[in-house]
Amino acid sequence: MNKTQTNAGVWRVVFAVFIALFMGIIIFPFFWILVTSIKPTNEIFGDGAYSIYAGRAVLDHYRTVIFEKEMLLSVWNSFVVSTTTTLYVVSIAILASYAISRFNFIGKNILLGLILVISMFPQMIVVGPIYNLFTALNLTNSYFVVLPYSTITLPAAVWIMVTHFNKIPLAIEESAKIDGATPFQTLTKVIFPLAAPGVFTTAIITFISAWNEYLLTITLNTNKEYHTVPVAVSFLRSQFEILWGQVSAATIVVTVPTLIVVLLFQKQIVSGLISGAIKE
Amino acid sequence: MSKRISLKEFLFILPILVIISIFSIWPIVDSIKYTVFDYRLNDQQNSKMFLDSSFNTSGFNENAKYIAYYLKKDMAFIEAGDQKQEFERIMGYVSEMAASYSEQNQNIKLSGSEAKKIETFMAEVRADVTKLYEANRDVELGNRENIQLVMDDLDKSIIGSNFIGFTAYKQVLKDLRFWSALKNTVLFTSVSVFIEFMLGLALAMIMNKAMKGIGIIRTISLIPWAIPTAVSALMWSYMYDGGSGIIAKLFADIGLVQSAEQLLLTSGGAMVCAIIADVWKTTPYMALLILGGLQTIDGGLYESSQIDGAGKIRTFLSITMPLLKPAILVALLFRTLDAFRVYDLIAVLTGGGPGGSTETLSIYAYKIMFGQTNFGYGSVVVVMMFICVAAIATLFVKVLGTDLMSKS
Repeated sequence: MNKTQTNAGVWRVVFAVFIALFMGIIIFPFFWILVTSIKPTNEIFGDGAYSIYAGRAVLDHYRTVIFEKEMLLSVWNSFVVSTTTTLYVVSIAILASYAISRFNFIGKNILLGLILVISMFPQMIVVGPIYNLFTALNLTNSYFVVLPYSTITLPAAVWIMVTHFNKIPLAIEESAKIDGATPFQTLTKVIFPLAAPGVFTTAIITFISAWNEYLLTITLNTNKEYHTVPVAVSFLRSQFEILWGQVSAATIVVTVPTLIVVLLFQKQIVSGLISGAIKE
Repeated sequence: MSKRISLKEFLFILPILVIISIFSIWPIVDSIKYTVFDYRLNDQQNSKMFLDSSFNTSGFNENAKYIAYYLKKDMAFIEAGDQKQEFERIMGYVSEMAASYSEQNQNIKLSGSEAKKIETFMAEVRADVTKLYEANRDVELGNRENIQLVMDDLDKSIIGSNFIGFTAYKQVLKDLRFWSALKNTVLFTSVSVFIEFMLGLALAMIMNKAMKGIGIIRTISLIPWAIPTAVSALMWSYMYDGGSGIIAKLFADIGLVQSAEQLLLTSGGAMVCAIIADVWKTTPYMALLILGGLQTIDGGLYESSQIDGAGKIRTFLSITMPLLKPAILVALLFRTLDAFRVYDLIAVLTGGGPGGSTETLSIYAYKIMFGQTNFGYGSVVVVMMFICVAAIATLFVKVLGTDLMSKS
């Protein structure tokens, strides 16, 4: 074995350790929360707090958060608002991105610049006026909160869709046009099937951003009935006595849906994140 | 070539125009409008934005009637005839004035001369009444104080304009709490983004080499990014907890803090905690973005640099970095802006405490707007934040040459 090979071997080990450490740090909080969620309450405080297994596992905390604190209601609310947001935001984004990618019109750069600016500004700037609007129209404490969700989800959705449309060769469309298809038919019959993976990626990214939204919901939907996962979870913290067992169980319950989405759609998510940031 | 948009083409962009106009552009314009008014929801005189002054007729009528009523009650105790006459005269004057607005019962706009007339009336009544009660100071009059209070209320029926121009901007520049929030925001942003970038770059370089098991590594890396910030903040607040938090205990055991309880209770400790939680959540995301950039680099370039005899460091500096620069800049820009407007993480983890040491601009603005219901001044803080964000974006695009638009 020569020196370079030994060196390469050493580096390989160093890299492997580094990656293992990284993975360990990512996973540790989840592991620790899981451990806490099945500990009896008296073991969470004092000396028992730092042991991995208390000798017996209990499901009390899960029972409390699911049946008494109605954590599943917040999961349902999150599901409703995220799905609705995804459906309307992706539809709007498809139309707009197709126009941006295919048509040349005056003001196109202004539209693009506007979308870019919206993706950058602090979300806090829309909250006051939206709150006043919703109070005036009596829309607080309702699922209408999905409408202002567009400020946070629409720019990214358009960005990702434009990237995907740009990858589809123009020639395909031109032949459709020669065959007499209207622009709308071209979009639905020819382009849409080709753009399906892009649409899917956009949908997943939109869904996750909507699922994670906190500021608008906590401001507009103060009623517990309409709390989404992030808001419901944050209220567990603000009680006088912090019941870490319940907090842990709730965290596990609400993380499961996200985990499923990530496991199933890992490839689409990565491609969506990258197409937002890297030009190909 | 650009051309005028046809109707059919316009229909494609109509929905997005409608949605962003209502839910993004209009609110920004409205927020900017809030900043030039003394606009406070919990204060009756400032609960709306009044460019001109207006006249609250029902308030005026009610208070005028009370003045007449108190005068009548107190007149019964007066014996001197000329004083009685004076009571009668003022009573008549007040009632007459109240009668001329008794038909209306809401806020109305007044013409200049009318406003002057009412203001003169108020001043006259106040002067006369004060003089009258002064002249009869030896007599026991039951409503001596009440009548003063009612006259104060009467003055409030003319609601002045609460347009204040740029006064609030001057105020914010002298507001120490604003500067402290700005300092905290800049500290949080620069430290977290710097650590995230260095770690992310290192991880991406390694991940780019070790192709075995990349799928599982990528999946695990996505989890912190994908879970809601509020949820991750809560997880960390448990681990930082003085009584049962494992990280707090770990830090105390290795001597970073005096005792586990101290961790979240000292200003430095709380900021470090917020930064660690943010680094945990976003480093993997940063690594994935940079990895995406690395994978677009043509492998042939590395081979030829190896043939040319370039070392590892040389290759990194003259091939990897220049080709990676566009991807890195875009990732850094978006991360910086994200960190700058941080809200959820701090709101759940520390709420801005202890003693405002982790209070960022978003947290401060939200507290003013929804804690004190002062939408005017809260919006000023938000607009200042908006200006900072614009400055950061300009710095990236103009100075560092981040290219955001070329894709389309």
